[in-house]
Amino acid sequence: MTRKRKPLPSASLHIVLALLDGELHGYEVMNRVAEISNGAVRMGPGTVYGTLNRLLDDGLIEETTDRVARADSERRRYYQLTAAGRAVAIDELSRLRRMVQGASRHLPDPATT
Amino acid sequence: MNTVAVYRVCLRLYPRRFRDEYAADMALLLSDQLQAEPALRVWGRLALDLLITIPNHHLEAHMNRHSTTLVSWVFALISGAAAIVAAILGSVIGWLGILLAISAASGITAVVAHRQSRLITGRPASANWWKFLAGGALTLAILAAVTTRTGELPTGWWVPSMIVLLAALGACVAGAVLGVTHLIKARSGHLMG
Repeated sequence: MTRKRKPLPSASLHIVLALLDGELHGYEVMNRVAEISNGAVRMGPGTVYGTLNRLLDDGLIEETTDRVARADSERRRYYQLTAAGRAVAIDELSRLRRMVQGASRHLPDPATT
Repeated sequence: MNTVAVYRVCLRLYPRRFRDEYAADMALLLSDQLQAEPALRVWGRLALDLLITIPNHHLEAHMNRHSTTLVSWVFALISGAAAIVAAILGSVIGWLGILLAISAASGITAVVAHRQSRLITGRPASANWWKFLAGGALTLAILAAVTTRTGELPTGWWVPSMIVLLAALGACVAGAVLGVTHLIKARSGHLMG
């Protein structure tokens, strides 16, 4: 029997969704989160790295810094989703879609507005 | 002092482990931000970020700490100190009884607290074989010192002394058995690995 997982906290959810496109470093994560949330979510460095640290501990992301030779003159750390992290991200997307579908009948009809 | 240098000072407010791991990356992220956005806007967000995440990280660090490890050490120290004082004041029977009782109670609490902390860390019991052996040997030594100092045991002390003696011998035997088990496990693990 599979145990139902709790929804991810907001910061983790945004970062996991941001990493769906592939590996990113901290600043790119921050920008991608702002992009996918249409500028509504702007994280600071403490939130970004605190959440990345938690996701690393939970095995949802992994560091990929040393796997590829980088052109960066400054050494940045890159992160990507693990297989488990990708599965969680897809689950979260499905959950959000179901939630939106369930609640969208309350939205005003575009034809009447 | 520039903005990033001020931020580096602020980073000292984070828990050490987090700081050691991420401070350089966080400062780099800030310098990237400052190149793309006005400093005032970045600092506005940064102040809020610091205000929220510093207490949060301290709370997390505190919750992840194994508090029972400290408890077990404190009680082990109390137990040891009480046993040493009991050995020194061996001729005063009343004090000897009280101190030995304190030592035994603290020792038991230390063992219980240590077992709880071990459950968190998930280390096998056999890894602690030497502690049983050392504890048993120490108790035997204290018992020998106390009986040598007091001479013949007074009436009523024979039974408790025998119980302590048997417990100490039991701890020594348990330590030896666990030590052998640990050695066998380590060898088989090494061969399998």
